[in-house]
Amino acid sequence: MNMELSRRGFMKAAGAGVAATSLGAMGFGGAEAAVIAHVRPMKLASTTETRNTCTYCSVACGIIMYSKGDVRKGERAELVHVEGDADHPTNLGTLCPKGAALKDFVRAETRLRQPMHRRPGSDRFEPISWDAALDRIARLMKDDRDANFLASNADGVPVNRWATTGMLAASATTNETAWATFKVAKTLGIVGFDNQARV
Amino acid sequence: MSAFQGIQPDPSMIGRLVKPAFCLVPDPAPLFAARAARFRALAPGHDLAPYLSFLAGLCEAQAALAAALPPLAPPPAGQLQRARDNTMPPLDRAGIAEDPVLAETARRFLDAIGDLDMPAPAAAALDDLRRSDGAELKRMLANVLADAMPAETLPQHLFLAAAVQLHMARAAATLDAKALLPLAPGVCPVCGGPPVASMVVGRQGAEGARYAACACCNSQWNEVRIKCLACGSTKGVGYQSPEGEEMPVVKAECCDSCQSWVKIFYQDKNPSLETVADDVASLGLDLMMQPTKYRRAGFDPFLVGY
Repeated sequence: MNMELSRRGFMKAAGAGVAATSLGAMGFGGAEAAVIAHVRPMKLASTTETRNTCTYCSVACGIIMYSKGDVRKGERAELVHVEGDADHPTNLGTLCPKGAALKDFVRAETRLRQPMHRRPGSDRFEPISWDAALDRIARLMKDDRDANFLASNADGVPVNRWATTGMLAASATTNETAWATFKVAKTLGIVGFDNQARV
Repeated sequence: MSAFQGIQPDPSMIGRLVKPAFCLVPDPAPLFAARAARFRALAPGHDLAPYLSFLAGLCEAQAALAAALPPLAPPPAGQLQRARDNTMPPLDRAGIAEDPVLAETARRFLDAIGDLDMPAPAAAALDDLRRSDGAELKRMLANVLADAMPAETLPQHLFLAAAVQLHMARAAATLDAKALLPLAPGVCPVCGGPPVASMVVGRQGAEGARYAACACCNSQWNEVRIKCLACGSTKGVGYQSPEGEEMPVVKAECCDSCQSWVKIFYQDKNPSLETVADDVASLGLDLMMQPTKYRRAGFDPFLVGY
């Protein structure tokens, strides 16, 4: 820890209200007054820098996210810049082109904010509730698996094979999530499957 | 020419991940010359123009003497080993306060700045210093080396702080930067002092890394970003800067754990920034921070009392 506290104590003890600034004591009080007048109408703004992990892939690069406004002070934080975290052992401050474009990804107007559904024959996505979406996914998976599941191959050897449905899982996961995702997909017999556990 | 030793261009490392050096020890003459040039560049049109020009003069004297004085002998190997074994700074400030070479350097520095244009209080203090006897000078040098700046003789101590910076930078230059170890958060690994401020650098091999700059020996050491340099906490660190700047290059790094703040400069955004010169030139931020709950923890002898 540095010596700021003891130093401040010394200053207080030694200088009882005299011009105890470097500028005042050296005779540059006029310049000091000019700066005081200059900043009087100015205001401070809160900004934050936050460590996080890039969500794109399992390399898990460290990033620093710059925001205007501080949530801890009850303000709304608005992301203004993202850069690689030089202190992170994985990427030492570097980012790939996708990671370097994270700000546009976060602030994209087309960013997915809720489950969306494109009905058969429709030309557009429409919002759907999580419950409805999950019920529908489960129903379709069950129907498809019942119709197409292979319990044995051409030689009669028992297999666990469901080749008509695929699954693509996201990257922003822990090892444990990746493990659980893998188990769910492979237990069902899904063959066409990719997630971060592969990488 | 670089103001720090050991920074060599190395095209072979392009595209590779390089861990930034932990500590950079100064190359005194170019360091002070660069600082003087930055003070000169900042002065025109600045509210603090007279003070910035005056400090440019001090730094030019530091640079000239750094170039002219014979190199210092490194500290004895036993002392370096003892410092390493006990996680102590290799430069022993209390011992250096007794060093006759320091007093001699201070005398030469005071002689070199005799012709500088300065206000009456500063000139009177300089005159007082030049007439002071050896014991008095030694006492004041010891104050400076303890980072204690007595209010009633602040101008004298400010001049001597510049002389101490010169001597300590030359002493730090004798060390092997690769042999230095971290001591504690926010503590200079060379002389144990507090930082002036810290700087996010953009130079090759250390892009985006943050270096704290020692107020005394002018070494720079790597510190993890978004961490308080006064207490080492990484919780509750936020930033304050004047409203209306899209990407501010000078911010106050504020810590809610210990209620202190230290300036941080973004040299990766503006390569002209220099810690000491820009610390003084950004006095406005100090004044704006005064009414807040945070106390300034950065130490700069040219900016005492804020």
